[in-house]
Amino acid sequence: MSPKYFWVERLMAFRPRLWISTHGALLPLGLALLLLTAMFTPGFLSAPNLLSLVNTASVIGCVAVAMMLITISGNVLSFALGVTTGCSAMMFAWLTGYESGLLATVGALVFSTVVTGFQGLLIGLFRANPIIVSIAALGLMTGAAELISQGSMIYASGSQLQGLNDTFWSVPASGWVLLALVLLADFILRFTRFGRNIVMLGSNMTAAKAAGISLWRTTVGVYALAGLFSGIAGILLAARYNAGSLEYGIGYDYSAIAAVLVGGTFIGGGEGTALRTLAGLVVITGAGAILLLHGVSTEYQFLFTGLVLLVAVLVQGR
Amino acid sequence: MTSISRLIAEPIIRACVLFLFVALVFAVSAVFAGVVVDATTMFSVLQNFAMIGLVALGLGLTVLIGEFDLSVAGMFILGGCVAVIVGSNGPVFGLAVAVLIGIAGGIIQALLMIRLGLNSVAITLGGLLTFTGIAHVLTESKSVLFNDLSVALAMNVPVLGVFSLRSLITIACFLAGGVLITYTRIGRDIVATGSNRHAARVAGVSTSHMLVGVFAVSGALAALSGALLSFGLSAASPTGLSNVMIPAIAAVILGGGSLSGGVGHPIGIAAGVLVLAIVRSGLTVLGVSPSVHEIVTGALLLVVAILDGPALGERLYQFKSMVTLRVGSI
Repeated sequence: MSPKYFWVERLMAFRPRLWISTHGALLPLGLALLLLTAMFTPGFLSAPNLLSLVNTASVIGCVAVAMMLITISGNVLSFALGVTTGCSAMMFAWLTGYESGLLATVGALVFSTVVTGFQGLLIGLFRANPIIVSIAALGLMTGAAELISQGSMIYASGSQLQGLNDTFWSVPASGWVLLALVLLADFILRFTRFGRNIVMLGSNMTAAKAAGISLWRTTVGVYALAGLFSGIAGILLAARYNAGSLEYGIGYDYSAIAAVLVGGTFIGGGEGTALRTLAGLVVITGAGAILLLHGVSTEYQFLFTGLVLLVAVLVQGR
Repeated sequence: MTSISRLIAEPIIRACVLFLFVALVFAVSAVFAGVVVDATTMFSVLQNFAMIGLVALGLGLTVLIGEFDLSVAGMFILGGCVAVIVGSNGPVFGLAVAVLIGIAGGIIQALLMIRLGLNSVAITLGGLLTFTGIAHVLTESKSVLFNDLSVALAMNVPVLGVFSLRSLITIACFLAGGVLITYTRIGRDIVATGSNRHAARVAGVSTSHMLVGVFAVSGALAALSGALLSFGLSAASPTGLSNVMIPAIAAVILGGGSLSGGVGHPIGIAAGVLVLAIVRSGLTVLGVSPSVHEIVTGALLLVVAILDGPALGERLYQFKSMVTLRVGSI
């Protein structure tokens, strides 16, 4: 090819590369729109409102980061993360009865990691359908938790983890926890071999297999990590309400997957970052809070989440 | 061994095996557990059959064509709420509106899926949430009661001893589905689309039309099922998503459907639903708490999910060769 045509080719091939890929271009737009409406919404920028917003969003955010890991690894989504959050909150509340904050924390985290990691084992080893495995786990865990707790709430005793309700530099501790998890997830995805294996598994499973990546080890790792993050969400909930209940986790799966998709994570896997998921979370929860402040009743929130998710999916189409 | 597993994979034979199993369970429970298998037991089994049957059939058809319609659970709820709200002007009108909404929802989802080249799971996840959201808005997140109790009575009155209007409609839909898949060109086109979409398109099948049709039927069946159940209960509520989703998926895979597409048959799905209905009725007879139902259905779904896993055979082979290797070395 002559040099002249080489430059023509280069010019023809040039696409303005935004700081995020094209289907994520909606995200900065959404953030800007949100900020604009927030400024004209009375009461939104008040300290108590922002504080409660951070408190709610941080728990959903932990689940959203967990969901994002599963989505990136090519397993679409899990319907069982919300119930895992609720169960680990119950586990935590129950274990505080032994007067040891460490025991309760470790117990709840081990529980959620093992339960979710086991789902990963079934998916990785037998290539069982991840959605169906997660729905089965949802049924099993809901049934078992209802049977054991007899449908009642478990109250935490002692105040070992009251520190989780304090604020540091005027941001609640749960917000710092979420920030730490986001940075940790991005660090793992970008800088570790395990993280690159996750991304590769999600973008092309056959290629990942050919490259010698152990399918089942990576899948178990992703799910265990997701379980760990959901367990942390459960502990945050239990510390806030000083109790654990199955009701806590209801609906978190849907908000989480909506945040993940609005954040521009590709639903087919292999693409996405935790920081973008955090931005998606801000859009989802912020918009919900604004709607609430404008007097839109809560039942519209369901519809809103559904429509936002639908739009986020449609934007990913060709 | 391979011939047996191949036979079980054959949809009609699998259905026969499941039906045989059902008969066996009935016989064993009659002889040993002292459970009297009379018209009342059969009636309760068929009522359970009617509850999950139509949703499973719609979902099964989408699985057969190689897609997965998550939105059936949402459409089930929306259909029930719409039928109860609109049905105050006459139950048949309510039923018709619910089914029309089901058809419209299915067609819209299928068209979006085809036009944008998106995965059915992604689109129907959005559909699931949107339909549930609409149901929440319509009912203001509360249970709605249906005042005309005579409709509920008409829905549940025993016909010929064991059937009810609900179960008769369900059985009729299954029979129609079976005839459609086995004896018509459309049925063969659907199976072809599910087995190998590209090859089907090359062979002249209009795969897009098949997809739109199947999703419309799936939406209609889910809405119809929700409407019938709500009329039967005289109430509708926008909550309880997983109550129908878990057994419906379990029934489809138990009945021989495979998520890789192109495998499955309405009669097989009927057999799967029947097995689940019997398990459910059996647990009710035993008097266990409803949470045990969830555990049993969840465990069953987990087992079928593993059995449907494409890598299961490979793993079993590895395991076998590992064992023989150990034995050989000793």
